Amino acid sequence: MNAPDRFELFILGDGEKKVTWNLDTRVPNTAIFTFNKEDHTLGHLLSSRLHKYSYVQFSAYIIPHPLLPSFDLRVTTDGSVSPKDAIVQACRDIVGELDQLSREFTKEWELKKIANTESRN
Amino acid sequence: MDYDIPMDGEDTGPTVTIREASPAAVDFILRHVDLAFANSLRRVIMSEIPTMAIDLVEVKKNTSVLADEFICHRLGLIPLNSKSVDDVLYTRDCDCDQYCENCSVTLSLYARCTSDGVMRVFARDLVPQDPRANEWVGVPVIKDDNPDGALILKLTKGQEVEMKCIAKKGIAKEHAKWAPTAAVGFEYDPWNKLKHLDYWYEESAKDEWPVSRNGEWEDQPQEGEGVALDGQPGPFYVNVETVGGLEPDVIVQQGIKVLQQKLAGVIQELAGGDNQAETNGDGFGPRSPEGPSGGYDQGGYTTPFDQRGGASAWGGGGMTPYGATPYGQNGGNW
Repeated sequence: MNAPDRFELFILGDGEKKVTWNLDTRVPNTAIFTFNKEDHTLGHLLSSRLHKYSYVQFSAYIIPHPLLPSFDLRVTTDGSVSPKDAIVQACRDIVGELDQLSREFTKEWELKKIANTESRN
Repeated sequence: MDYDIPMDGEDTGPTVTIREASPAAVDFILRHVDLAFANSLRRVIMSEIPTMAIDLVEVKKNTSVLADEFICHRLGLIPLNSKSVDDVLYTRDCDCDQYCENCSVTLSLYARCTSDGVMRVFARDLVPQDPRANEWVGVPVIKDDNPDGALILKLTKGQEVEMKCIAKKGIAKEHAKWAPTAAVGFEYDPWNKLKHLDYWYEESAKDEWPVSRNGEWEDQPQEGEGVALDGQPGPFYVNVETVGGLEPDVIVQQGIKVLQQKLAGVIQELAGGDNQAETNGDGFGPRSPEGPSGGYDQGGYTTPFDQRGGASAWGGGGMTPYGATPYGQNGGNW
């Protein structure tokens, strides 16, 4: 049949790039980034994280078509930081936050394990 | 670079409170993160954590009452141990022709009923063949007391099945059989103070929509209290229950790791250099559509979670296994 392979949802095709981007010619300091083989997981995460930076004036994402595994992220900054650098900064901050979450979870899990064995004795 | 993430007092990053932990599930409260963050973690746990599942079945003999493809489907859904699944390659990344011991685990199933009455064939009858990537991977999960595992099919006298099953590594985005959890419990704002929910009711929403037990963890809203228009969702009550292949804490940690690798991929792509025209004044001229720019084009089928070079995250020594960021580790092997 002509159904696309399901791994096309998350494996980049030949020559395809994870992220491509174009400047918006009508608005200054604005770029539209197309993320391939990504979905709301990354789209909403990045877009809402960008809202927290004072130099970001606008960020939003759209999934152009529900059958296509890609999303467009539009970012406007105040000019002190380029949209690309804003995204990179956002990614770095989230990775750091995830690191912290991981350590925090490990710590809590170990504590819970100790508590569980104590209550059993 | 100055940025102003709102910080009030101790609000310095995610915190976790584990309410319940067992070999089957973990129930925790996630605080000081936003909805997008919590939801991304949930989504990644649901659909992008690699596990093992039977993907290819060679039916040598089947004289049971069930059709071959019916049994194959059932075999696919049997949970297999996926501990240290990082040791297994994705078949599409492997050098072999179809499958080999580096990218798959072979399980054989042979059952023949010789007595009167009904013979039941269980997951325990799936025999993993050596060599395997490690001692855990691909072994059927058996958690019941008998111990039998999942029921595959029934045979009566004279019936026989013989199959060779190839288990491969995959993620639930491709097929739900690779899901490490059946569902992830996720709730915030149990009293609906933010009015993110608009309850349908016959007479009274209060009587007809009982508050979940998470409500005990938050103050009940006062009568006639208004909606906090700037209220942010949180804390998040998360419950991760494993299907059996991975321990619940490993599922959460793997989810975090997969999400980090996703972000690391974006950083690599954007900060890694000359991927496109730079954002300076006259970058507005006509531009040809993005051609393949050489750079770090990896030629197709490299999975985003490729771990070559990086140490396997669990079982590696006594230090905190999740300390290092994934993008520093493997020398730009993305």
